[in-house]
Amino acid sequence: MEKLKEKSIELIIIYKRKQLCLGFFETSRNILENVDINFIKVYYKVINALGGIPMKKIWLIMTTLVLSITLIGCNNQEEEGVYSLATWAAGTELSELQEIVDEVNEEAEGEFEIKINSIPSNYYQQIAVLMGARQAPDMFWLTQEIVPKYAHDLGALADISDNLEDSEKLNLDDYYEGVIESTYYDGSYWGLPWISNPLVVYYNQDLFDQAGVEAPSETDDWDWNEFIDKAEALTGETNHNGDDVYGTVIDGWPNLETFLWSGGGDVIADDYETIVLDSEASINGLDNLHEMITKGITPRYGIVDSLGGNNVWFERQQAAMFMGGVQDDFEEKIERMDEEDKFELGYAPMPTNLDGSKSSFNWTASTVLHKSNEDDPLAYEAMEALTLKIFDWKIAPPVKDSTDKIIDSNPDKEAMIPTIEHTLQFARSGHYIPEWDGTSGINDRLWYDLYLQMLRDEDFDYVSAAEDIADFSRDLIGERE
Amino acid sequence: MTTIDTVNSKHPILKKRVQQTINYTVIIMGAIVMIMPFVWMILSAFKSADEILKMPIQWLPEVWNFINFKRAMEVQPILRQLFNTSLLAVIKIFGEVFVSAAVAFGFARFKFKGKDFLFMLLLATLMLPYEVTMIPTFILWSFLGLTDSYVPLTLPAYFGAPAFIFFLRMYFETFSKDLEESAMIDGASWFAIFWRIFIPIGKPALITIGLWAFMGTWNDLLGQLIYIQSPSKYTVQLGLESFSSLSGETLWGPLMAASTMALLPIIFLLIMAQKYFMEGIKTSGIKG
Amino acid sequence: MKRSRVGFLFILPWLIGLILFTTFPLIAALFIGFTDWNIAGNANWVGFDNYIELFGEDAFWNAMWVTFRYAIVAIPMTTITALVVAIVLAKDMRGAGIFRVIFYMPAVVSGAAVAIIFKWILDANFGLLNGFLELFGINGPDWLGDPSWVFPSYLILALWGAGSGLFIFLAAIKDIPRSLYESAIIDGASVFQQATRITMPLVTPIIFYSLVMGIIGAFRKFTDAFILGGAGDQGEFVMVYLYDLAFADYQMGKATALAWILFMIILTLTVILNVSKKYWVHTE
Repeated sequence: MEKLKEKSIELIIIYKRKQLCLGFFETSRNILENVDINFIKVYYKVINALGGIPMKKIWLIMTTLVLSITLIGCNNQEEEGVYSLATWAAGTELSELQEIVDEVNEEAEGEFEIKINSIPSNYYQQIAVLMGARQAPDMFWLTQEIVPKYAHDLGALADISDNLEDSEKLNLDDYYEGVIESTYYDGSYWGLPWISNPLVVYYNQDLFDQAGVEAPSETDDWDWNEFIDKAEALTGETNHNGDDVYGTVIDGWPNLETFLWSGGGDVIADDYETIVLDSEASINGLDNLHEMITKGITPRYGIVDSLGGNNVWFERQQAAMFMGGVQDDFEEKIERMDEEDKFELGYAPMPTNLDGSKSSFNWTASTVLHKSNEDDPLAYEAMEALTLKIFDWKIAPPVKDSTDKIIDSNPDKEAMIPTIEHTLQFARSGHYIPEWDGTSGINDRLWYDLYLQMLRDEDFDYVSAAEDIADFSRDLIGERE
Repeated sequence: MTTIDTVNSKHPILKKRVQQTINYTVIIMGAIVMIMPFVWMILSAFKSADEILKMPIQWLPEVWNFINFKRAMEVQPILRQLFNTSLLAVIKIFGEVFVSAAVAFGFARFKFKGKDFLFMLLLATLMLPYEVTMIPTFILWSFLGLTDSYVPLTLPAYFGAPAFIFFLRMYFETFSKDLEESAMIDGASWFAIFWRIFIPIGKPALITIGLWAFMGTWNDLLGQLIYIQSPSKYTVQLGLESFSSLSGETLWGPLMAASTMALLPIIFLLIMAQKYFMEGIKTSGIKG
Repeated sequence: MKRSRVGFLFILPWLIGLILFTTFPLIAALFIGFTDWNIAGNANWVGFDNYIELFGEDAFWNAMWVTFRYAIVAIPMTTITALVVAIVLAKDMRGAGIFRVIFYMPAVVSGAAVAIIFKWILDANFGLLNGFLELFGINGPDWLGDPSWVFPSYLILALWGAGSGLFIFLAAIKDIPRSLYESAIIDGASVFQQATRITMPLVTPIIFYSLVMGIIGAFRKFTDAFILGGAGDQGEFVMVYLYDLAFADYQMGKATALAWILFMIILTLTVILNVSKKYWVHTE
């Protein structure tokens, strides 16, 4: 027994010297060095108990063989300068991305090459499998809420703070603060955001005219009280089809943070540590939400799906305002409508919060670099080049002074530019921590135990619920090792 | 006497009719329940996205547009994927059906040392959830450099499939012992007995297994996701997944159209299988 | 060649395959269950901690309860349904072929598509099921949104897919010699008696198979539960819990330990069933 263990450790050392697959070694070595001798004894006892003599021999041989394979087994002959990019893009999005990557590769002139690895479904699961097999992609896409988990808990990401500061092509200052914040955690930056999709208020000018309500301006600030007043005035109108009109649609979208921020509160404070879900400001925000629900300015939660989605209400002129992302394609949809159904589209920024601050929830995604590439400047260069090219593709590019790019790639958004520019100044992400996601993560609780209940039941005691979840979250953070 | 007794004794023809009507009614109701979701899916292939998601469910599209099919084929090379998947399935089925039959034959008709232990081992492999061995298996295959190919999905098939072995063993065990006796007297080799007697008689079961094997391959999104990367090797399931994305909208119309196109081969296969299945049963004759 | 040798040769392909493809993953899985591997980093030995922690988690017991409850009800239910339908369709009635295909179809569609379709069907306000019930003046419940109705929802889903056992039961039924039925009819047996005295006993091997596979299937139920979920953790089957542990919490060590626990449970149940075999399963 001892001999077996020793022999295996010997093997590990030999192969380590040969610089093969270090990742595996740490793992196997850990196991072998720390395995309790008792376990191995039990293991061999069990083998002895099973079957006849031939089986035992076979099994022992197999085990040894297998352990050895574990130690040798590794296939990472990566070519120099070729980097894999994992993405969830598929279908049309994938072909567009492929075009972009081809351009980047061309311009790199042989210095580096990016290869796309498209994972059309079960994205995070597949990333996990690849990581587990020590075949993690060099770069991959992540949505913002999951960055802290990958950076902190899993230690899978490369810290690119220095690269960002030193870079000439894409510098920290080039990014809007609210956007680069989404890849910030625990003192470092972990990825390059490639899209910024903040919330704005779309509105139906025709319905506003019909109700005699003054429309919000495209860049001047208005606050939530004005929003609610206008929504109230619009609710109850009838549109050209004879349907009832509501002020807006709230069915879980916009996200809860938007309402917490409306009161000046949040889930987690700036320090990424303190839970402020139950602070006075946050409760004010929830009061705000409650007011909107009870005043009936939005269709009831249960019937929103009856038209096929919250946006459909706006498209069918049954909601006068819609809080949607900059990326939403209402312009296109209106183009394709019958003449009598078309309406004039107006844009306004999100209302100012009750404490005077301005915010607009920003959906971002970033490309991150796997930790194994931390000391490889070429890898960062490739990722940077890719990100810069994506700015020409997606709306809205998260860097300052790039509104002309929007016009180039999406000409029908031209009328929206003033609002987009204005909004990008104060667009922001949530503050995410590793405990956000996952089974019984904070996010789940916020939806099932708070937001959903508020939408369904006007008498729901949301203050207690908020306090409960706040305490629960504090416990989670406390359990962190 | 109850009505049924009266009916039974006095009117044999009426009794038969009543029974038949009851049978038919129940079966038809059941069939409607089974088939409704499919009907909805197929009809949805002709609708626009709004109509699909609408509730209460709208059955018939307002306009029967074929644009979804066109769009679906633009987004994904569906025909190619159908071909790929069929190829994959055929290769797998062949291995799984015949090798499993052979192994089952061994377990069913012979005694040898460790047989019970080995069979328990076989059952045990069925019981372990795949998530657990997923990553180590992937490591194994990438060590051999065989990822992004059909090999990890097809090679194991030629070593038998435990679920099928289990089933076929039960099935073969029900065959009468005399079958082998007479053949042995004639001096036939064991393999001949297997191939010439058990396989033909077992046709219905084999067809069933073949059907399962086909379904298994067709629906194996996970395995295909893990081991296939190049789009040219994509299967139907992977193609269908490409219609929705984390950073965009789901293309419902084309998705329904693609799903319908994916469904057709299966229905076709089912009908064929059903026919041969019943034929096989008729000709299997005396089994014991 | 000795007969036993021949037998061993016949099963050899499977055995070789087992050694080649399953040994390494199995042993690796065994070890991983004793570590705290979080996929991205290294694995540190923690002994039985994973197991102990699991037994202390509410979510674990909830998952066990949800899965067990489902298994106990759904398996007999679907087996009986498949058997009954097979008996009926075994006769050569008109259109039997088409019906056989129709009843089998649900089992053929992949789990994900089924789950999505059923999500619409089970919708509280506008789903097909409640719409149907309304025709009878019944106000259908919030199937997936009300914790008490989640379990029945999954039973409905199971019933819908019951046809997967159809073909194997058909095969078994068709194998029963007509002569047995004929003599029974001469003796004056009713249809019901024929079914219970002749068909069922002779079909017991297949029932046995169905039950075993059913147990295994119920404990490994994943895809549809993953998509449909269910209010208040009532849809969190063991496999969903395991998947979340592995890929949402990245606690691969714990997830693997859970898998081994599952394995032991299924093994035990199967052994029990196997032992009971001689009491009720008919063999030549």
